[in-house]
Amino acid sequence: MTDLQWGRVSNDAFNVALFSYVAAMVGYFAYLAFRRTSFWAIARTVASVGLFANVVCVVTRGFAAHRVPWGNMYEYSVLLALLVVAGYLLIVEGYYKIHTLGGFALMFSVFTMAIAVSFLYVGPGPLVPALNSYWIKIHVVAAISGSSLFALGGGVLTILFLVQDRRERRQVATLRAQEPPPIMGGSVDVDAPPDFAPDADEPTAGDVVRRGVLPTAATLDRMAYRVIAFAFPVWTFAVIAGAIWAQRAWGRYWGWDPKETWSFVTWVIYAGYLHARSTSGWKGRPAAVIALVGFVSLLITYYAVNLWIVGLHSYKGF
Amino acid sequence: MRTALILLLMLALASVAGSLVPQWPNSPERVVRFQLDHPLVGAFYGRAGLFDVFGSWWFVLITTLLFVSLVACLFPRTRALVRALRQRPVQAREIDSFRLYEERVVPADPARVIDGSRRVLRRRMFRVARDDDGRPALAAEKGALREVGSLLFHWAFLLIVVGVIYGKGTGFTGRAVVVEGKTWIDAQANYDGQLRTGRFFNGDFTGAGIHLRGFEDTYRRSGQPMDFVSHVDLLDAQGNVVKQTDIRVNDPASIDGIEFFQYGFGWAPVVEVRRGGEVISSEPITFVQDTAPEGVPQLAMPWHGILKLPFLDPEAGLTLELWPDSRAWLQLRTTGESVAMTGEFQPIMFFKVFRGDLTDTSPLSLDTSVMRQAGRGVVGAGQTVDLRTGEALAEGASSKGLTISFPELRQYSVLQVSRDRGVPMVLLAAILVLLGLLPALYTSRRKVWVRAEPNENGTVLKVGGFALQRKPQFDEEFSKLVDAMARAAGEVPAVEEKERVSSR
Repeated sequence: MTDLQWGRVSNDAFNVALFSYVAAMVGYFAYLAFRRTSFWAIARTVASVGLFANVVCVVTRGFAAHRVPWGNMYEYSVLLALLVVAGYLLIVEGYYKIHTLGGFALMFSVFTMAIAVSFLYVGPGPLVPALNSYWIKIHVVAAISGSSLFALGGGVLTILFLVQDRRERRQVATLRAQEPPPIMGGSVDVDAPPDFAPDADEPTAGDVVRRGVLPTAATLDRMAYRVIAFAFPVWTFAVIAGAIWAQRAWGRYWGWDPKETWSFVTWVIYAGYLHARSTSGWKGRPAAVIALVGFVSLLITYYAVNLWIVGLHSYKGF
Repeated sequence: MRTALILLLMLALASVAGSLVPQWPNSPERVVRFQLDHPLVGAFYGRAGLFDVFGSWWFVLITTLLFVSLVACLFPRTRALVRALRQRPVQAREIDSFRLYEERVVPADPARVIDGSRRVLRRRMFRVARDDDGRPALAAEKGALREVGSLLFHWAFLLIVVGVIYGKGTGFTGRAVVVEGKTWIDAQANYDGQLRTGRFFNGDFTGAGIHLRGFEDTYRRSGQPMDFVSHVDLLDAQGNVVKQTDIRVNDPASIDGIEFFQYGFGWAPVVEVRRGGEVISSEPITFVQDTAPEGVPQLAMPWHGILKLPFLDPEAGLTLELWPDSRAWLQLRTTGESVAMTGEFQPIMFFKVFRGDLTDTSPLSLDTSVMRQAGRGVVGAGQTVDLRTGEALAEGASSKGLTISFPELRQYSVLQVSRDRGVPMVLLAAILVLLGLLPALYTSRRKVWVRAEPNENGTVLKVGGFALQRKPQFDEEFSKLVDAMARAAGEVPAVEEKERVSSR
């Protein structure tokens, strides 16, 4: 096949992946709304098809350009979307056996890919000399893995934790207001039916959705922590690899270029999160808010620094 | 820890400011433009050090305080760790009140049970201590690596700071401009005005040199750059060629501890001026470009150079404008379209001659305020043109007046030259940071106590314990541990029975 044909295959695979992700996202949300296992099965299948198409998209892009397929923002975004979906399917569905969060993870990937194809698309082509180094394999792979894990842990799971935590607090407040007072002394175990609440035997339609849809706040918190604790060394490695590459390319390992600065800021925020998690009084909501700030910083590190802040990483198309 | 965290956060905030406001060390031209566009805000920013955040006194202050508080935090923790590692695990008074507790009845005497349990624990890398008073009891713990890793991680940052101060303090960075065929020597005077030396730099330039055999810039048909390469000879302080090599983007060369990085390039036409046929000036002149306006490729811009002839009377200065590809000039004149010049094609050079006093000593600018224009013209490669009239001379003809000729078009390469002896130390520290981080995040501290008490059926094995981190994982580990201890004390059938039941 010619380079042109490979490029076309890659673009077709991109469309298949994006539409599959959209469909799977709808399917996952339908599963959340109606709690039919069949919806989940369909959504997961469609998401897997999308993931396969996404892999095809990345691999053929590499064939078309004769190099690693993460040389510009478009390719980076496509790979990021792939890793977030793969990370979700492997970690959240595979390891934690939680099936309800797919819509949220897919939403991140759909947005990333939509932005990539609308604003960042460039045809497959060779690398500019500045990027032509074997460190692109090491640094960019680490950066993209760290980013996708932070997106999953600091973004998706943390937002869901905050939502669920708020809901649980409200439930506690309502239960406290009711008679008789909670026998568990205010501690919440949402998995257990609130048998001490009146009419517990007759759950209303809304009640089922409210209780069962998301994992408990404690579970979400633990998952978010695990994923971030996994992402943090990966990100640290990415920053170090970037510094080594900078030493080779620009003759200094650290020069407070905007990209360096923001990756440092993101690193500091997640370091703060890890410390907060182990400090009493900062667990739960405050730590989650820090993780969320870290996610915003990650988005700035990726989008804003490349597109709007002038510096050595201002590749735009490249 | 709280103080250190707050300081770290302040450092992050200061860095954010540094990424949003243009920085003098990174992009001086943007700072100047900012100051021109916003004089009031610019003055305030300048006073507050916001144009050089990372070199400002308050940034240094925050960093210093951060590391002071870090050390203040690390010293007691390190001492406590050393003490804990020296100490034997401490026996517990009550073991049945721990988070995890199990009892098993095993057919062996207490001493054997304790021996077996001790083996099991030691095989799993627990530090084990027997009871001092000889009672059948054990105390064991594991996971000191977590604190070791955490401390290594934090101490390594101190090593980074030491490496940075040492490397940047004793090092320097500057730019060398070398024309094809010329040699550049590492000496103070040869840096292109951009030399930045560290605070403790003692002026020990090496005298090593670099000879540029040739420079190549290649582009694809789309105009996208493909490769920039300087073919060089590296010379030692005595001028002997040590090595022939290529310097590319991402592929530097080094000699005597200084490194050369491909930074930029440009055109350096050789310009000859004759008087009455006799050469009075002949040298390659490095030309520079103006920044291209929005929408125009940088390579479409013409190149500018200055030639000064102070030995003439009256003194003369020439402003030169080079079009390395004359087709681009023609295109711009006829259709107004800007075309990138990615190579040399029938180059032409426009010139203006000024006579009067040369008041400006810079090689890059010409102050014409006390001069008058005394001629203009254009000269193509290989041509000779009369400076005053601008008329081309026929080949072989000579003129009594001043003539300019353009025998050769060369390129020059801009190399970033730097020396940083702290790099290996910083790299080592970065590796230690990673090495410390992994156990600090992924291991957990666990404590286990064992007792053996005789009863009528043999011995009651009592095990209690808890984990400080990763509690769910320890629940599983603990029950396996108890199984193993019971098996070591001869409880084989019970385990098999249990497995058979569960597999059914």
